[in-house]
Amino acid sequence: MSSIRVTGLRVRHRKTLALDSLDLELGTGVHGLLGPNGAGKTSLIRVLATVARPDAGRVELLGADTAGHRGLAGVRRRLGYLPQEFGYYPGFTVREFVAYVAWLKEMPAADVPAAVERAVARVGLADRIDAKVRTLSGGMVRRVGIAQAIVNDPAVLLLDEPTAGLDPEQRVEFRELLRALGASATVVVSTHLVEDVAAACTEVTLLDAGRVAYRGTPEALTRLGEASDGPGDHPIERGYTAALRAHRAPGAREAVR
Amino acid sequence: MTGPLLYARSRALPATLAALVGTAAFALWAAGRLDAYLDPDRRVPIVALTPLLASAVIGASLYSASDELDRTAVRPWWPRRLAQLTALTALAALLVVPAVLGHADTFGPPAVIRNTLGCTGVTATAAVLLGARLSWLPAFAYVSAVYLGSSAARGRAGTVWAWPMQPGAWAVALAAFAVGAALYAARGARPDGPRV
Repeated sequence: MSSIRVTGLRVRHRKTLALDSLDLELGTGVHGLLGPNGAGKTSLIRVLATVARPDAGRVELLGADTAGHRGLAGVRRRLGYLPQEFGYYPGFTVREFVAYVAWLKEMPAADVPAAVERAVARVGLADRIDAKVRTLSGGMVRRVGIAQAIVNDPAVLLLDEPTAGLDPEQRVEFRELLRALGASATVVVSTHLVEDVAAACTEVTLLDAGRVAYRGTPEALTRLGEASDGPGDHPIERGYTAALRAHRAPGAREAVR
Repeated sequence: MTGPLLYARSRALPATLAALVGTAAFALWAAGRLDAYLDPDRRVPIVALTPLLASAVIGASLYSASDELDRTAVRPWWPRRLAQLTALTALAALLVVPAVLGHADTFGPPAVIRNTLGCTGVTATAAVLLGARLSWLPAFAYVSAVYLGSSAARGRAGTVWAWPMQPGAWAVALAAFAVGAALYAARGARPDGPRV
C-alpha cells in the first residue's frame, strides 16, 4: 500500500516551474530522490512535509488528503522531516531541541523524555545530549536534525540532504539507520550522493526539471550504468547520467508521460 | 522541561521580559530628570521613544530560528502567536505607564499606552513583511519623522498621520495594532534567508 500518493503536482516559484504535473506513489522502504540542482527535489520534499502548498495537484499522505485541516493534523503527528537547513534555537541543548520538536508533534508528555533519549542515541549523540547545539560540529548538528526527525517514530520520514557534513564512518552508520527505519516506514531521502542510494535505498526516483526522469531499483540503475559508456566512476553514477540523458533526449519526455 | 516552557525559551521570552523591564526602568529614570512637573510637555520624548523601544524589543521576540520545522507543528500557530503578541504588548503598556503618571490629558498614561499599541502594530506588520530582525525599522523611521514634523500637523489628516504625537488619536493606533496582530497571527514573521 502506498503511504505517499501524489497526483498532478505542480509547484511554481515565481516564474519557475519547480514541479510539473508530477505523479508519484511511494510505499514502505527507503526511496532515494536523485536529480541535478534545481530538479525539484527540495520542492517535492517541502510539499510532502506539508510546509509548502502546491499550486495544483493532490497530495495524499497515509491515506489522508493534506489539503484538509483534520487530515493534516493526523498526518503531521506521524511525519518526520529534516530540512536542508533547519535552524536550531541557539540556547537549546540537544535534549531540549529534540523535546521541542516532540512537543510540536504533540507526543504525549510522559513519552517524550524516553523518546528523545532513544532518538539521540540512534544518531550516536547520547554522550552529547546535554550539550548546547551551537557548540556541536556541523556533522553533529546534522545528526541532531536526524534525531528530531525520528523522535516520533514517523510513518513517513522525509530527509533532505541528510548526509551533508557527515564523515565517511558516520555515513556508513547512517545508512544502517536508514535501512532499519525503512523496514517499517516510508523514508524519502533527497541526496546528490548516489553511493548512499546504492547502499541504503530500495528504490530510486530521478527527477529532472520538475518531472520524473527515471524510477527503478538501485540495482536496475547500476545495470543501466554498466550497459552505458557515459561519464562516471561507478556503474550507478553512469546509470544516473545515462537515465538523465535518455530523459532529456528529444521525444523522450512524451514517452515518460 | 515542558513544551510551553521550551516554546517560551525558543522565542527568547525571558530575555524579552528583562529587556522590557529595563526599558521601563530607563524611561522612569529619564522622566525623573525632565522636571516634568513644571511643564508636562517635557515628557514628549518619553511618550515618543519608550513605546518605540518596547515595540522593538517585542519585534525581536517574534523571530523564529527554526521556522521550517515550526511549520510542521500539529496545532495551528495563530493562537500561540496572538497570545504572545498581545501578552507582551499588554505587559509593555503597563510597564511604561509609571514614567508618565499624572496629566492624563497631555502626554500622560493614555498617550504612552496608545503609542505602545500603535508602534507594536507597525512592528508586527514589519515582522511579517520584512522579518523580525528588521521589524523595528519602519516604526523607528515613522515615529522619528512624526516627532520632527508633528508641529505642522493640522486638522483630521494631521491627527491620522501624526497619531503618535496627537491627543486623542486612538483610532489609528488601535487599527495599526489590529492589523499587525492579525497579520502576525495568520502568517508569522517572514523567515530570514532566501526562501520565503
